[in-house]
Amino acid sequence: MTGSIILLAIGKNPLIYFGLLFTRGMGSSLGVIESIIKMIPLLIISSGLLACFSAGLWNIGTDGQFLIGAMLAGWAAPWISNALPYPAYLITIALLGILGGMAWILLPAVLKARYDINEIITTLMMSWVAVNLVTWLVKGPINDLSTVPAQTPLIPSAYRLPMIPFTRIHVGLIIGIATLLGIHWIIRKTTLGYQFRVMLMNKKAAMHAGMSVPHLTVYGLLISGGLAGLAGAGDVLAVKGLFQGNWNPQYGMTAIPLVFLARLNGWAVIPLAFFFSFLAIGGEFVARDLGVPVFFVHVLEGLTLLFFAASEYFEKKWMHR
Amino acid sequence: MIGITKNFPGVVANQNVDFDLYPSEIHSILGENGAGKTTLMKILAGMHQPDAGKIIVRDRKVKIRSPQDSLRLGIGMVYQHFALIPNLTVIENLILGFEDGLFLNLKKAEQRLQKISAAYGLFVDPEKKIQDLSISERQRTEILKILFHESDVLILDEPTSMLSPVETEDLFDTLKSLRKAGKSVVLITHNLGEALSVSDRITIMRSGKNAAELSGDILMNMDAKTASNRILNVMFGDIPEPRARVAGKVFTDEPVLELKRVEALNNQGVLGLKRISFSIAKGEIVGVTGADSEGRRLLAEVIGGQKRTTAGKLVYRGRNITLTNIAQRFELGIRYVTDERMREGCVLDMALSENAILQSYYRRPFSRFGILNQVSVQSFTDDLISRFGIRATGPNARVSTLSGGNIQKFILARSLSDEPDLIVCSNPTYGLDATTVRLIQQLLKEESRQGAAVLLITTDMDELFSCSNRIGVLFDGAISGFMDRNDATAEKVGKLMLGIHE
Repeated sequence: MTGSIILLAIGKNPLIYFGLLFTRGMGSSLGVIESIIKMIPLLIISSGLLACFSAGLWNIGTDGQFLIGAMLAGWAAPWISNALPYPAYLITIALLGILGGMAWILLPAVLKARYDINEIITTLMMSWVAVNLVTWLVKGPINDLSTVPAQTPLIPSAYRLPMIPFTRIHVGLIIGIATLLGIHWIIRKTTLGYQFRVMLMNKKAAMHAGMSVPHLTVYGLLISGGLAGLAGAGDVLAVKGLFQGNWNPQYGMTAIPLVFLARLNGWAVIPLAFFFSFLAIGGEFVARDLGVPVFFVHVLEGLTLLFFAASEYFEKKWMHR
Repeated sequence: MIGITKNFPGVVANQNVDFDLYPSEIHSILGENGAGKTTLMKILAGMHQPDAGKIIVRDRKVKIRSPQDSLRLGIGMVYQHFALIPNLTVIENLILGFEDGLFLNLKKAEQRLQKISAAYGLFVDPEKKIQDLSISERQRTEILKILFHESDVLILDEPTSMLSPVETEDLFDTLKSLRKAGKSVVLITHNLGEALSVSDRITIMRSGKNAAELSGDILMNMDAKTASNRILNVMFGDIPEPRARVAGKVFTDEPVLELKRVEALNNQGVLGLKRISFSIAKGEIVGVTGADSEGRRLLAEVIGGQKRTTAGKLVYRGRNITLTNIAQRFELGIRYVTDERMREGCVLDMALSENAILQSYYRRPFSRFGILNQVSVQSFTDDLISRFGIRATGPNARVSTLSGGNIQKFILARSLSDEPDLIVCSNPTYGLDATTVRLIQQLLKEESRQGAAVLLITTDMDELFSCSNRIGVLFDGAISGFMDRNDATAEKVGKLMLGIHE
């Protein structure tokens, strides 16, 4: 509704816009597949956020960890692919992504654990450092000099992530869903997840009971950083095929509210992630057809979040009646 | 208030309760923990909405949807756990939520405050931050806040539970002067003596129902003893038997825990515990009291492992445990039952079952290879609930749905469930009703009879004398005296608490 009003204000027909949005985003197999592919990094990042949010820890810098993981994958893949057998090569790249993401959150994690320095600020700052660091690296030390734009060498398609049989979707989807549900299970059924939840609900009680809050803090943040890095490596290995200096998809800004909308429930993350990536993909298609700027999708995303949040507020209010 | 009914998940907190209040009176609501006193008043103060019933204020039927509504009707409530903002000053707290305009007019507010202070003899430094105030000053600030908003009705929830006898008397003087000025006061309490000493009327609640109402005339015509017996009868259904005597000396000389010249820093980095040396033997209850809450807390935490020592040694069953952490001490059979029940003793928004394993979650059968076994956790919790008579709907009920007394029973049950060797209790019966108090004291005595060593840190003199085999007194972070129960008198202990040696 609100979206329609904005569309009218810029002189476009909202009926046509939304009609196209749906037919393009969900009506065609191309749209659905693109949406699913775009949802994969969201799933992986969300699963990491699920772990740290469930422990009351705030990793706001997933974009930085994502870029570090992506950069490492883009840099290493071209020459590792020749040196190692295919499966070992894939695992190595995945580990590199994870380690890169973990390395990038290690400092904020340790600062939080030892000195209780606010991780919201440190992870965000580290994210900016990452954005600039990877841009510099890709322009200099790891640049592929044979191409004009600043980027790493292209990974040959034989060395990309394999597809799920009979589809055009890469196996990242399976990894993403498995990771997400795995973390969901860990949070609810294991002692580690139990300690996370106690920490979220009452940190004082956790300390009083003798749980090692500093250790838990580091674990929670490392998991989320590592998975953000993995998402980055996956995106390079499956979709992009190379790492570009000015590339920053900012999945974190979608994943963070998404995990909260899902109320820290892994199952609920899946449809929400699909919805948001559908919006993004549909919006891109429609932008070409109608000349509505792509940014309008961000407006829609923002409005969706706003309405979700508002509905949650009213629901809570009614519950208390 | 007519026919008020309020249900919480699994519990009927109020069932068809009537309550009325006249101008210029002090009306006490008396009842044991979980009787529904606080719920009833929270409904009046706009914190809860009743499921049924109506509220009539000055002949008008009203709906109170929020604390603001209630304040507008001239009703204000002082909660047991205060609702002031610690890092704001007194005056800033007073005008909170009622600031008009863009800029704070502190000066005008201060002048008004002074007028009110003078009228009722309630003095607090308006420039001081709440965090620097004592408990009684904070309470005065809460009362001032209500008066500041020109309320006629003050509701006080267990106001004396954290005050010293002198402070309590001051408070009651204030209440009387408020009554003289035409204000009405509701006093929620479970202390019979207090209720009798100030009230014009007493309403007694039991299991969420209005059990009886005694007017001033009836109370006047009875002597204190008959009155209290009658009230106890209504409150509990039967008159409690006299307190049990001191536990027999069944203990051996075998020390379970020895503290050797232990020192520790408080949160401000100042030496808060000085050269503490004593031991607790198997089967013995050692009672420790002291006026300073920080020293008491430090002593408990040094033994529980929450606080590191800076000097000295702790020897537990012949083993030096000075450097072990909380979890290791738990594993060795040391249990610390904190007096911060809600803040650190449990997780209010988690289920009883999840709270039951707060310290033992890593043990078998609750956990195998890091995976929780819900079935065994549930049955363990079920067992605690039935064995210790905890009033809860089941293992999946949230702790926050339990009354204060039941939360304490639950926390104690959790700690006693596997026959620990050393139990450190900090004010285990603080704020609880007489039945629960007796039950908990019985439990502790039973534990000591079965060979556990108990350190009972308490400010309740009755408890100290009726439970302990030996009594120690803390003053200014050091032990100012240690004596056998039979050598101890209230006077002696009282003097030691003030640091006076004979």
